Amino acid sequence: MYVPFLVEATHDVLVVGAGCAGMRAAIEAQDLGADVALLSKIHPVRSHSGAAEGGINAALGNASEDSPEEHAFDTVKGSDYLGDQDAIQILCDEAPGDVYQLEHWGAVFSRTEDGRIAQRPFGAAGAPRTAYAADITGHVLVHVLYEQVMKRDIPTYEEFFAWKLVIDDDRCQGVIAWDLLNGGLKTIGAKTVILCTGGAGRLYTGTTNAYACTGDGMAMALRAGVPLKDMEMMQFHPTTLAPSGVLITEGCRGEGAYLLNGDDERFLKNYAPNAMELASRDVISRAEQVEIDEGRGVGGNVLLDLRHLGAEKILERLHGTRELSMTFAGVDPINEPIPVRPGAHYHMGGVDTDHELGITELEGLYAAGECACVSVHGANRLGGNALMETITYGRRAGAAAAEWALTHTTVAVPPSAVSDAERELKTLLDRREGERPWQIRDELAKTMHENFGVFRRENQMKEQERIVGYLRERYERVVVDDKGEVFNNDLTQALELGFLLELAACMVVAGIERKESRGAHARPYDFPDRDDENYMKHTIVRWVGDHPVLDWKPVTMTKWTPQERKY
Amino acid sequence: MDVALKIWRVDEDGERNLVTYEVEAPEWACLLDVLDIIKDRHDGTLAYRKSCRMMICGSCGMRMDGRAILACKERMKPIVEAGHVPVISSMGNLPIVKDLVVDMGPFWQKVRDVKPWLDPGYDEPSERERIVSQQQMNVINKEALCIMCGCCVSECNAMESDPDFRGPAALAKGMRFVGDARDQTSVERLNELNDEHGIWDCTRCYFCNERCPKGVDPRDAIAKLGAESVKEGIDWDMGAKHANWFVTSAKTSGWLRETELVPKTQGILSALKETKFALALARRGKVPPPGPIHVAADVDEARKLYNLVKEQGRDGALGIVQGERGLARIEHVEAGGAHRDVPEITPGEEPPVAEG
Repeated sequence: MYVPFLVEATHDVLVVGAGCAGMRAAIEAQDLGADVALLSKIHPVRSHSGAAEGGINAALGNASEDSPEEHAFDTVKGSDYLGDQDAIQILCDEAPGDVYQLEHWGAVFSRTEDGRIAQRPFGAAGAPRTAYAADITGHVLVHVLYEQVMKRDIPTYEEFFAWKLVIDDDRCQGVIAWDLLNGGLKTIGAKTVILCTGGAGRLYTGTTNAYACTGDGMAMALRAGVPLKDMEMMQFHPTTLAPSGVLITEGCRGEGAYLLNGDDERFLKNYAPNAMELASRDVISRAEQVEIDEGRGVGGNVLLDLRHLGAEKILERLHGTRELSMTFAGVDPINEPIPVRPGAHYHMGGVDTDHELGITELEGLYAAGECACVSVHGANRLGGNALMETITYGRRAGAAAAEWALTHTTVAVPPSAVSDAERELKTLLDRREGERPWQIRDELAKTMHENFGVFRRENQMKEQERIVGYLRERYERVVVDDKGEVFNNDLTQALELGFLLELAACMVVAGIERKESRGAHARPYDFPDRDDENYMKHTIVRWVGDHPVLDWKPVTMTKWTPQERKY
Repeated sequence: MDVALKIWRVDEDGERNLVTYEVEAPEWACLLDVLDIIKDRHDGTLAYRKSCRMMICGSCGMRMDGRAILACKERMKPIVEAGHVPVISSMGNLPIVKDLVVDMGPFWQKVRDVKPWLDPGYDEPSERERIVSQQQMNVINKEALCIMCGCCVSECNAMESDPDFRGPAALAKGMRFVGDARDQTSVERLNELNDEHGIWDCTRCYFCNERCPKGVDPRDAIAKLGAESVKEGIDWDMGAKHANWFVTSAKTSGWLRETELVPKTQGILSALKETKFALALARRGKVPPPGPIHVAADVDEARKLYNLVKEQGRDGALGIVQGERGLARIEHVEAGGAHRDVPEITPGEEPPVAEG
């Protein structure tokens, strides 16, 4: 194997990002005999998968009759028919086996009376299908996966900030990363790279996402010429805390909580009379926003009322939620309703992959989890399907990457890739005068919220396109204070902002051109209806020169023909 | 609101400086928000970890006025209103990398040392999940809450004097598997955790319970491991012998027979080495006269209690009274669910000297 001297190490498979998808991929690759390593800008258990609360969807049938077929139908309908039906079928068929696997690894699921994995109702699901561990399901899964990573002794580049993909001979051959603890750019060669870097919720002020969710993998792929898909599809979760957007789980409504407006009215009867609080997230977020905009909110919020569930149930199944609302809203849900509002939560869009194995357009590059767009979520993701996707598609991408790596032999990192990166970094670090990144970051998040939020208007989206362009110009003169080597996250935060700005540009361009209302993309003022004839297709954005270029790609339909979507 | 902080800055060479920062912050700001404002607008070189800002990722463990906290959990308003200027420093018992960032390597090594993965005793899993009752899973409810932030390790007194002590986080992780009905290696695990730097070296200062931001109560986990060890007959450590003698003594005579405690714990030979000390105590009238054994009048009560614990199967982990969360539950039920239980921050009157 040809290994140039400047490469730190080479692997068969390098997984970038170590949340649920990344760890699941690494475990699978190693079990298939590949030499695999994880690389993440934060320690694996710090990953934002751990903040998932409500659960993971699989048709286990432990709470009532259920089948993968019904799971698939709910998911297709939930996606507003933008999800690829072949991919959804795979997810729903394989979900039960993957959940059982997690249980055998030791996941601490809540249990039914007869000792099986407990399942609760979730939004837009025809059966209680969401397997859960109280309201800390993501935390439990992240830890069980990390236990398996430790068991297998999978090498992990901890606190390595992935910045660039190494591309040579039209193949992805590794990653260039900034080593946070020790400083310096490090090059890790790899026959295959799997991007599992999560979402980009930091594009918005009110978001459930961690500070780490800056879309790094999507932006790296984009810069490497790989297209992104459905980037306009950003899900707003209906129950987040003001002001910062801390998540209050859908599990509350699964357990029976009500949503009330300022008149103490369960307002969903006017929007989703059948499903009420268990309608899909896009429907409820829009309903809330209308109530708030029309003056029926409570200080910019609506109220999530858990009181009738009783202290016993809240303490047993929703103790994390109680802890969060007491700490961040000063409200004990046993005694008072929690003020909530929609907040940016999940990117249905992401790196365009095939429907089976996380394969991207670039040989050797794979993607799984939130950073990928398979697409199983289409225009609106169902609660509980994200964790499931990380596991099922994480596993599949891990297997595919391992198989490819084990049948190909060389890794080559061209010296120019590294010297170019060094030069670019030096330019940034040498700049002494200019603007600090925070103002650009805050303006971006604030304007995305205003102009590209729950409801979208043509003129606002165009305005946002202009704003993003202007912010990108300002970013050219951004200044990093910290010139040191050790734990320089002033540098990495500036690089993250660069990622976010390019992703925002992609989202806006796709949003303007999708002239219909579908799932998370709601244009009630000019295109209030879904337009299957013209827009039942994915947006595809490529980076050409220094701007996004839009294209389209058909949706795969197998057996479910589009119907009107009502809850 | 105007917030002031003093931060122990530590540079790459270990040079320390206590620097005061005064910034404007929104009323809802927690400590982490204030640190962000400082880093963004005043000094980009300030280093600290952060991610989820919702108490689940465990990144932002640090010390405020000498006690370990999660920066995202500490609201600043009451502190500002009290006119207090808190001192922020890195966590204790771990090497400092820079400013508020510590090297978590030693922490994770100790976690790895407890073989922190389930050993189900088979290679090929069955087609469905295993049947386990909620009651069985409840045994490890609190241990499963651990986010590995390191706050307990930061505060551990035993680790301060013995850096090799396994420490509260790793031991709680150990209990997470010992207590898991699906794990087939509990006895092997207990034997390992009884080793030289294991469970009996805990000084029971309860700082880990007090400072854990998630209610894991690591000291309770260590107590459960002790109780399980004794139950399984793993009692070769002096700590276990010490505990066992309390039980035997109470069961046989209704009292704790202190004169026998030392030989029963350390063994006769080792106890003989303490003769000089014992004589000195005796001269000052601090040793009860040896024999005859005084049996309490209602010793039967003690025996009944002993039998009851055995009958109920509470002689292992189940007999350990659960701390914080269990108590909060009782308190809530007793108060008829009517009280407002919002945590308050009471800043210390005088900031203790922050340690580096």
